[in-house]
Amino acid sequence: MKLLDKLFEQQTRHLAQRSSRRGMLKAIGGLLVGAGTIPLLPVARAAAADAPGRPTEKGDPASCDYWRYCAIDGFLCSCCGGSENTCPPGTEMSPVTWIGTCRNPADGRNYVISYNDCCGKSSCGACLCQRDEGDRPLYRPDKTNDINWCLGTTSLAYHCSTAIVVGVAFEAE
Amino acid sequence: MMIAYKSRRLLAAVTGILLTGTALAQQDRPPPLPIEPTGIIETLPAAYPPSWFLVQDAGFFHMSDGKVYVIDTAADTLASQVKGTFNVSMIGNITQSPERGEIYAAETFHTRGSRGDRIDVLTVFDQTTLAPKGEVILPKGKRFMGMPERYALLIMDNGRWLGVANFSPATSVTLIDLDTRKIVGEIPTPGCVLVYPTGTRGFSSLCADGRFLSTELAADGSVAKQTRTDVFFNSDTTPIFEHPAVIGSTAFFPSIAGLVYPVDIGGPVAKVGEPWNLVPEAERAQKWAPAGIGLIDKDDQGRFYIIMHPDAKDGSYQGGGPEVWVYDAAAKKRVQRIKLQSWGLSLAVSRGENPVLMVVNPADMSLEMYNTGSGEFIKTISGFGQETPLMVNGSK
Repeated sequence: MKLLDKLFEQQTRHLAQRSSRRGMLKAIGGLLVGAGTIPLLPVARAAAADAPGRPTEKGDPASCDYWRYCAIDGFLCSCCGGSENTCPPGTEMSPVTWIGTCRNPADGRNYVISYNDCCGKSSCGACLCQRDEGDRPLYRPDKTNDINWCLGTTSLAYHCSTAIVVGVAFEAE
Repeated sequence: MMIAYKSRRLLAAVTGILLTGTALAQQDRPPPLPIEPTGIIETLPAAYPPSWFLVQDAGFFHMSDGKVYVIDTAADTLASQVKGTFNVSMIGNITQSPERGEIYAAETFHTRGSRGDRIDVLTVFDQTTLAPKGEVILPKGKRFMGMPERYALLIMDNGRWLGVANFSPATSVTLIDLDTRKIVGEIPTPGCVLVYPTGTRGFSSLCADGRFLSTELAADGSVAKQTRTDVFFNSDTTPIFEHPAVIGSTAFFPSIAGLVYPVDIGGPVAKVGEPWNLVPEAERAQKWAPAGIGLIDKDDQGRFYIIMHPDAKDGSYQGGGPEVWVYDAAAKKRVQRIKLQSWGLSLAVSRGENPVLMVVNPADMSLEMYNTGSGEFIKTISGFGQETPLMVNGSK
């Protein structure tokens, strides 16, 4: 159990129990907007891995075994005109999402990954990937990938899923 | 010119032969077929036989075009197995009321396909025509939309009301009067999802903090009381599936690790009983555990059926498995171990005295039928247009 994960979950549950529905939505929105404003790590590609002092990651973002996809279930946006952290042209990124904690084999750190769906076009259809690590059933919305997360978007049509690094997870004690 | 002349002669000769042949054959043939009326549409019986199943194709690759197939599993040819279909848009969920002869579907549309104004609707399909006979417009942007669930819709209060589970991601239940097809109200279920039967006029929802929220309704549909049960699981370390098998007044909720929790839903508040292990002690080293989407169902003889897989690990609980284990729920005992042809993702069991088991094989998305008594494989049903039949249901 990673502490940041736990923090997220506890906050969500606390809010769920104590707040009105509208308040809950607003609070989750706040959390997620907060998450969205955490600056993305200056991730370099494997090609730059040899440069000392620079963040690294390895693997193929169009492959289901790519490290960031540990908790994913959906079409990889990398195969749909987008990338692991961008949506394909003409789609809309859902601001509401589920998260996973994935280990980057290149630096041995665990990262919090936000699986923002890209919405507004029908299913991409390419690179369907289901790994589900750390996934939980619907009663844990923060960790469930079985929901159509095209929530808060103008169109509910699910197209593909990204895997965006939103933070470094605290190491387990 | 010469070529054209020759062609004409050849054509005349061939025509002559054919005309002669036709004249001869007419003497031996039966009378011609009668002229047939056009515009005839088939209908289905008011009561579906137990061998009929509702096969829910979510249309995962084109979600706005989901489809439910009505399949007669007792028939031997494809032509006689397919009884009809109806569309369910955007990974909707269904439930059936045999008393009313209706099937309900929570659906969503945009006015311009994948864009435009959003409309959420509860569609009322007629069992005999498989055509819509009514609808209730749902509050916009709320109804639960995800992988198919059997308890996203719930008929309660002796068939008078229908509960529609919402997830926006705020959670609530929209209550609909099935007589008037009007919305009675919306009941918040903060932190808790879906809608499980509880008592005669109420429901329960499953919560992130490991317990149920039971809602008792007053006669006018307002909330009489909401009660949170004691915590009985930890959603981090000891999660349960949200899919139960309901036998009489007990709902059996399997856990991801392989326990099953009997929950008394006969009264107004869910009562969680002592869990027991689905896996016999001698087999636990192989790490057998439940897995799948619609992974559990029951028959009318007090047994429940669940898809199991060995070597369970983090992330494997939705992937299905190679066996179906059958339990006598009252005796808390496994009574049958069915080895599947290859793999199963979802299952359903027919009602009545001689139930049959339907299993979705995710390798080729076919349906496999098994004898529940002997466990023997009966046949495969496939090629009827299905693509992603992620949830299957015995007809009621």
